[in-house]
Formats: sequence, C-alpha cells, structure tokens
Amino acid sequence: MGDEFEPKLVAFLCKWCSSAGSDLAGVSRMEYPSNVVPITVMCSGSVSPLYILDAFNKGADGVLVSGCHPGDCHYIKGNYYARRRIAFVKKLLEYIGLEPQRFQMSWISAAEGTKYTQIIKDFVKELKSLGPQTKLRREQ
Amino acid sequence: MVSLEDLKKEVKKILEEGKVKYVIGYKRGTNSSLPIPAFIRSAEDVEKLIWDPSCIHNLSRYLVDEKRSKAREKKPDERPVGLIVKGCDSRAINVLLQEKFINRDDVFLIGVSCEHAGVLDEKKLNKKLKGKEAKNIEFSKNDNFVITTEEAKIEIPVKEMLAERCLECKANYPVVYDVFLGEKVSKKLDDPFKSIEKIEAIPREEKWAFWKKQLDKCIRCYACRSVCPMCYCDECVIDTINFAVTADTTADEKAQKIKWVEKSPAFSENFVYHFVRAIHLAGRCIDCGECERVCPLDIPIRLLNKKLEKEAKELFNYEAGFDSDQPSLVSCFKDEDPEDFIR
Repeated sequence: MGDEFEPKLVAFLCKWCSSAGSDLAGVSRMEYPSNVVPITVMCSGSVSPLYILDAFNKGADGVLVSGCHPGDCHYIKGNYYARRRIAFVKKLLEYIGLEPQRFQMSWISAAEGTKYTQIIKDFVKELKSLGPQTKLRREQ
Repeated sequence: MVSLEDLKKEVKKILEEGKVKYVIGYKRGTNSSLPIPAFIRSAEDVEKLIWDPSCIHNLSRYLVDEKRSKAREKKPDERPVGLIVKGCDSRAINVLLQEKFINRDDVFLIGVSCEHAGVLDEKKLNKKLKGKEAKNIEFSKNDNFVITTEEAKIEIPVKEMLAERCLECKANYPVVYDVFLGEKVSKKLDDPFKSIEKIEAIPREEKWAFWKKQLDKCIRCYACRSVCPMCYCDECVIDTINFAVTADTTADEKAQKIKWVEKSPAFSENFVYHFVRAIHLAGRCIDCGECERVCPLDIPIRLLNKKLEKEAKELFNYEAGFDSDQPSLVSCFKDEDPEDFIR
C-alpha cells in the first residue's frame, strides 16, 4: 500500500438513472473502488464539454459521463443530445492524442447497481495501467 | 474567373437603384499584396472594387458588426447590406440564416463563383515573393496564377499556390445568392479530408507531441475568435468578464465566480480554449480558413475544425452551410446515432 498509483476518476452521473444506480450499489453494500468522485448532474445532456475538460484540467485521470438508457431519459431526449455531443468530445480528444480509455460514457439505469460497480472497477483498472494523466493537467 | 467589369456593373446597378445600404467588397490594399475590405457607398466608389484570386477574406463577418451597430441606431436604415460572397462565404451566410442570426432580407448577396480554382494562400505567396509586393494577381488562360511584381511577371501552377481550404473545397460556387456571376463548375474531389488524415494516421504520442508544440505557441490574442463569422456570441465563455460586478458584489463572490479558463497562455489553458472553440464550431464551421490565416503564430487551427467537420459527415451525415432550413447538428438527434463507444 502507499506506493501504488491511485487514479482519480470523475464521474458525471445523471440524477434520475445513473446516480440512483450508484445509490443502489451503495445501499446494497456492493464493493467498488473508492477512486471515483461521483458528481450528480440533472441530465447527461446537461454535461458541457467544458465540465469534462475542466475535470482533466484540474487533475482527473479519467472522466466518466453516464446517463439513462436511450428512451428512458427523464427529460425525454437529453441523453440523445449527450450522445452526439460526447461523440465529438471523444473523437477530438483522441485526435489530440489523449488515451481514449481516459474518457468514457455509459448508460446506467437506476436498477443497475452491479453494472455501475463493474464499470467503475474496469475503468479504475484501466487507469491504473495507464498511469497518471499529465497531458491536460494545469501546471501549478 | 468572373470578370471585374461584370462585378462592377452589378454593384453599380444595385447602388444606383438604392436597393442596398452599401456593398462590402474588396479593394487594393496600401502596403501588401493582399486586398482589403471595401465599403462601397456610392456609385462613384465602384471603381475601387477589385476581384482577383487574392480576395481571400470572408466578408460575412461584417454582418455581425452590422447587426450590432444597427441595434444601437435610433432610426436604422432598413435596407439590406450588399455583400460579395464566394462559395465558402455563402455557406457562412447559410449558417447565420439557419441560426436566425440574420434574416434573408438583411443581405443582398452577389455570389461569385470561383470556377476552376479558388483563392491563393497568403503564406505561400509571401514565401514565393520573398518580401516583394505583388502589383497584380490574375489567372492566365492555362489556369496558372500570374503574379506581377515591380520587376517581373511570375507564372505559378494553381496547385502550388492555392489555399489549403480551396484544395479541399466541396462547392466552389455560392449556394445562396441574389445575383450569381460566373458559372457553376463542380469539380470532383477525391479526398476532401486529406489534410487531417495525415495527422490521424500517426501514432498517438506523436499526435500529442504535434499538438502540444502547436498549442504551446498560442499567445491567446483571440484573433481567431475575432475573425470568425460564427463567433458572434455577445458573451464568450472564455472571457472572465461574463459575471456582473456591481457595487454590491462582495469580494467573496468575486473570488468564487466560475472561471473556466485562466488568462495565462499556459499550455493547459490554451488547450481548453482551442478545444472549446472547436467544439462550439462543430457543425457550424464552413471551412473559410480565416482563423488559420489570421493566426500570428501559424497554429493550424483549421485542422481542429476540419476534424469535427469530418466526424459530423461520417457519424451523422451532416454538412454545414448547404441548407439553411435543416436543424443544427447538436440540437437534433436520430435514433440510429452511433453509440458503439458507450458501455
């Protein structure tokens, strides 16, 4: 302990599905890494690309955006908008030369506590093998 | 190439008829080979107009300023503004119309077709002339650029001198216009995204090294933002002034106001700036290449915009500027949008 790299993962979870999914994981006492910093947003469609960049800028090693499954959005179509927008962010980050594994998107419903823990476990494992994210981090 | 006489005749006609307030075109500059924008208000001034392959600028940017100054006037002149547009400029107009920033009757468009070529590249020209000034630039019969300087007349093949964007132009004729000059020449484009495919092909770490080197140069003069016809927001997220500071604002509030990007031209901040700019132009950029032209540090900004243009085309089959009635790229969706990247 101590020497191993512990990545910091910022997760933007929509209030109605993904955040409830993470709650379910919590109340069901499922185990998952504590590297994740969950941030509840009202909808995955409200996640501005700036949030994502800012997370990287302030030192996140990975960013996850998660929303309701298509068709399940509380606001009917917010996640469809998110899907388009996030696709651009992802493509552009890859084009710049950031590791594509560092930025991911997922659909997690309120009932999918297990899926949430699994995604976080996989994500943290990938980040550990990638090492710290230094490319976009603001120099102090 | 559209003849200058035809253009002058057309401009003179609409000015004499009083159809337009003024016409924005190009005139000979005073201290370089390139023309400068001309605001023609009377029929006598029409003689100043020029039209040649060095008319690079996208004049549609002036509509943004025009709209702002009109809003300040008490009794504004309601007549439209005349504007000389090339193919790329007309696509910019289409995007402005699509976003309801301007109305169709705010502008009178004199569309000029680039026909067989396009405009030249300022940097390539300066390299060729080695500090000399071009007195006259025109097309020869066999599709070469003929550049006349004080000492000599140089003939250069079009391919060597053409602006990068013209080499990748999808439609070198105006798509929206009131008067059309020249003829529509559709050319076959083998590789519309040639410039970015080079970067896409290199390994990740080299890509990173390339962009780090490029964006490190940025001094954040915001020339790219000032020249862009699509950057017309009254407030920009990049500026830290979009927070009303009044006499009642406490020091605490000021300290805690959200500031997305620091002003210092450090790499991480430059990156956020250029990234945000690119994302904001997704599905709106019509590839006029002005941002790259005005950049004092030669950052290939166009390559960022072009990448998103390519993704819009490939992922969502969307092209900006061809249809002013289509919904904008990020404010619509389809059920079958790709989601293979989502877990």
